[in-house]
Amino acid sequence: MGIGRSAISVPPFPSASEPQPSQRSSATDTALKRRLQERLGPQLLGAVTARQDTTEIRIGPTDVARVMTLLHDDPEFRFLILSDLCGVDTGSVMQVVYHLWSDATPDWLRVIVDGLPRDDPRAPSVTFLWNGAEWAEREAYDMFGIIFEGNRDLRRIYMPPDYQSFPLRKDFLLADDAARSPGQGVRHMEQTFQPAEYRRTEVLRQGLGSDAGQMAPGLQTAELASGEDPAR
Amino acid sequence: MEVNNDRPVIQPSVTSGGQPLEARDEPAPMASDQPSNPQDGLATTRDDSLVEPIIVANSTWTPADPTAYNGGQPPQITHLRELELGDKSDNARWGALDIIPTKADYVLDLIRINSLWPLLSGLACCAMEMMSAATSRNDMDRFGMFPFRASPRQADVLIVAGTLTTKMAGPLVRLWEQMPEPKWCVAMGDCTCSGGRYKRSYATVEGIDRVMPVDVYVPGCPPRPEGLIYGMMKLQQLIKERRGHWPERHIGPTVPVGV
Amino acid sequence: MTTEQTIRSLDDPDLFVETPGTIYDAIPPLPPRTEREAEFYTMRDGEMLINLGPQHPSTHGVLRVVLKIDGERVVDLDPVLGYLHRGVEKICENGDWHHAISNCDPLEYIAAMFSEAMPVMVAEKLLDLEVPHRAEYIRVLAWELNRISSHALFVGWLALDLGGLTPILYGFIERDEIVEMLAALTGQRLLFNYLRIGGVNGDLNHDFLSRLGDWMGNALKRIEEQQKLLNSNEIFVARTRGLGVIDRDMARRTLLSGPVLRATGIPYDVRRAHPYSVYPELEFTIPTREEGDSYARYLLHLDEIKQSIHIIDQVLHRMPDGPVMAKVPRLMRIPPGRAYVSVESPRGQYSAYGMSDGSDQPFRLRIHDPSFFNLQAVGLLMPGNLVADTMAIMASLDPIMGGIDK
Repeated sequence: MGIGRSAISVPPFPSASEPQPSQRSSATDTALKRRLQERLGPQLLGAVTARQDTTEIRIGPTDVARVMTLLHDDPEFRFLILSDLCGVDTGSVMQVVYHLWSDATPDWLRVIVDGLPRDDPRAPSVTFLWNGAEWAEREAYDMFGIIFEGNRDLRRIYMPPDYQSFPLRKDFLLADDAARSPGQGVRHMEQTFQPAEYRRTEVLRQGLGSDAGQMAPGLQTAELASGEDPAR
Repeated sequence: MEVNNDRPVIQPSVTSGGQPLEARDEPAPMASDQPSNPQDGLATTRDDSLVEPIIVANSTWTPADPTAYNGGQPPQITHLRELELGDKSDNARWGALDIIPTKADYVLDLIRINSLWPLLSGLACCAMEMMSAATSRNDMDRFGMFPFRASPRQADVLIVAGTLTTKMAGPLVRLWEQMPEPKWCVAMGDCTCSGGRYKRSYATVEGIDRVMPVDVYVPGCPPRPEGLIYGMMKLQQLIKERRGHWPERHIGPTVPVGV
Repeated sequence: MTTEQTIRSLDDPDLFVETPGTIYDAIPPLPPRTEREAEFYTMRDGEMLINLGPQHPSTHGVLRVVLKIDGERVVDLDPVLGYLHRGVEKICENGDWHHAISNCDPLEYIAAMFSEAMPVMVAEKLLDLEVPHRAEYIRVLAWELNRISSHALFVGWLALDLGGLTPILYGFIERDEIVEMLAALTGQRLLFNYLRIGGVNGDLNHDFLSRLGDWMGNALKRIEEQQKLLNSNEIFVARTRGLGVIDRDMARRTLLSGPVLRATGIPYDVRRAHPYSVYPELEFTIPTREEGDSYARYLLHLDEIKQSIHIIDQVLHRMPDGPVMAKVPRLMRIPPGRAYVSVESPRGQYSAYGMSDGSDQPFRLRIHDPSFFNLQAVGLLMPGNLVADTMAIMASLDPIMGGIDK
């Protein structure tokens, strides 16, 4: 096995450097790159990169709805199929990564929503375009804690509903790794990481204070920011 | 009924009124199959060797205690929760009648082993091999194990095939508790024996013997259908050897405590 | 509540003691946390919540569906996943790229070659590695064999969920033969661990080829037999025709893929939409059907089996000579980058997104299983149908919980 990463200092993921020139001849669609740069210019963070058969763009969380609608509806893009939606924890920021397919271009399009802060990651939901993204967003929430605003059903999908941690975060260590990290000692497997201001979708909030305590004592404190009225 | 005064006499732990004779205030252990509360008069040894059958003179199959056939409880208590609150020693059907194993016992065990009905508890990949063992090429039907019952109330054997996750552990233990005795458990596959390839994971239970008593471990990832059939035949052999003393079988993990 | 955390050992016998009102009850004791949950758990007069629990006789794995029924009709449903969540992605992050191959095997346990292909193809893309031609052909051969065995099982399970006990036995005969030949090739019946970064593990051998030859001899005939058993069976047709109809637009928006999508008429197949491996050199058509109901999905699976047999034929005729494994170092430090690969598995578009940070451990390996999206279709299809049809609908969508729950 290789050199593991120490628990505390998770090195930031190498930022978008220009990828190595590909040795294999796979066609990348340069026309697509140009079109994206023209139409989406102001919303892109950084240049459009293309490698092998994937073109990649980065946007900020505020532009998601507009960019996705454009890519979906525009007749020269026609990215009608969302292949994948996932969350990524790079150690310094969180990202949401979409992969889109269009019949107008042979390339995959990767849209990286970059710059979500690790302590309060929020992104808009794309369930208004694709209903099927609902569960994928639930999964990203379950594994990372990324809150998708606009998803009508944002609750845990894999872990039990009273689970406290977000397993795929980089600060969540498996028991073996926690034991092997220098200076850590043997810790409990779940290292709870509470985001700072943690809100759920605004729905029925009655009785959340007393009933939640019965099920999981930690639930109460995680739920409310300081000094908030539970009945709001 | 004549009682031999040189031998210890079995005292029923529950009178017909339903009140326990002595207060049982230690919490009931999770696996209800362990001989946890030794009954008075029963010479149970604490080591793992097979218990010597206690000889009690008997006249045809009538028990001394009319409540013995109700699991020691008065007949109106049937709910599972009340059973949990009560004492969890094995006072099922034959428990009060530790008699010399007779030919009738032998025949009963033969009947049991030749029609072990498994419960469909296929969780993951091992379920494919379990189904493969049940279908035409490797036939489990020739051992009498074809009917994979859907309901735990009708099943004898729980073949746990597939990784047990922490979310599924609750329902699985509930299934186990719903199965009527005598029942056996076969841990099929590495994930159920010890956690297997998912031992480091945050969401799995490292081996089902953490949550329920296991009789036969069938290792493999996944074990071949022939391997599962071998495990079932071992189970049959085990049942025959026990000669009816099924609650005192060797179960549980072999890892010493504290490791 | 104290701030210090009590460490609970997994040996604690109180861990699974039932608390009053556990989370395994049909109606959760917690107040609803989301809009959709509130909508689901408010019941009108006469409605009832039924738990189609994690253990049920239909052998798709541990899926729990909470049905809201009115009499015998399903009004709404709430699938609960996660009973098989094993944390595969996290384990992959803590191991090597090579370890990820055997870790990702059990995701699609029926057709493990496809899930194995994920870390392999992602690593090859990140490394810009050229896989030898012969290895590509062997991969396609293994993929198509897996596809046939998976589809044969699908047919069996669809019939089993409708109550027929014979077709599953036929399906398992097919599957056992194919799986024995793959065991001769790879050493394992189910979780093969055969694909390697840069090729495959071993070349074809005599045992495998002789079994393959025997099987190919009467493969088509066997498929015809299976067809005859069910195609015009009145009960089967009456129960599946018109059941679970998905229309095209909804199918696209629900991100379905694979036979479920092609049965609605959209001819999206990753082997043609975004070709990989040697599929551009092979001749095959993409079967599609128009109706979008369960019967169409069943017929589509049979069509796909025939196409796969055709592909295997071509592969055997065109198999080139050469090495089966590229020269790769054992300790593989993959340069930093991101890659996305996608294959067409029996259930749909199986894809993976991998990130490498320069070390030999994957930084993020995200596996996306098609059954995950396909299962969302039950939310569209089950309401309005009878309880007896719920399992038929589920079976016709062909979910595999290993991949859904990861």
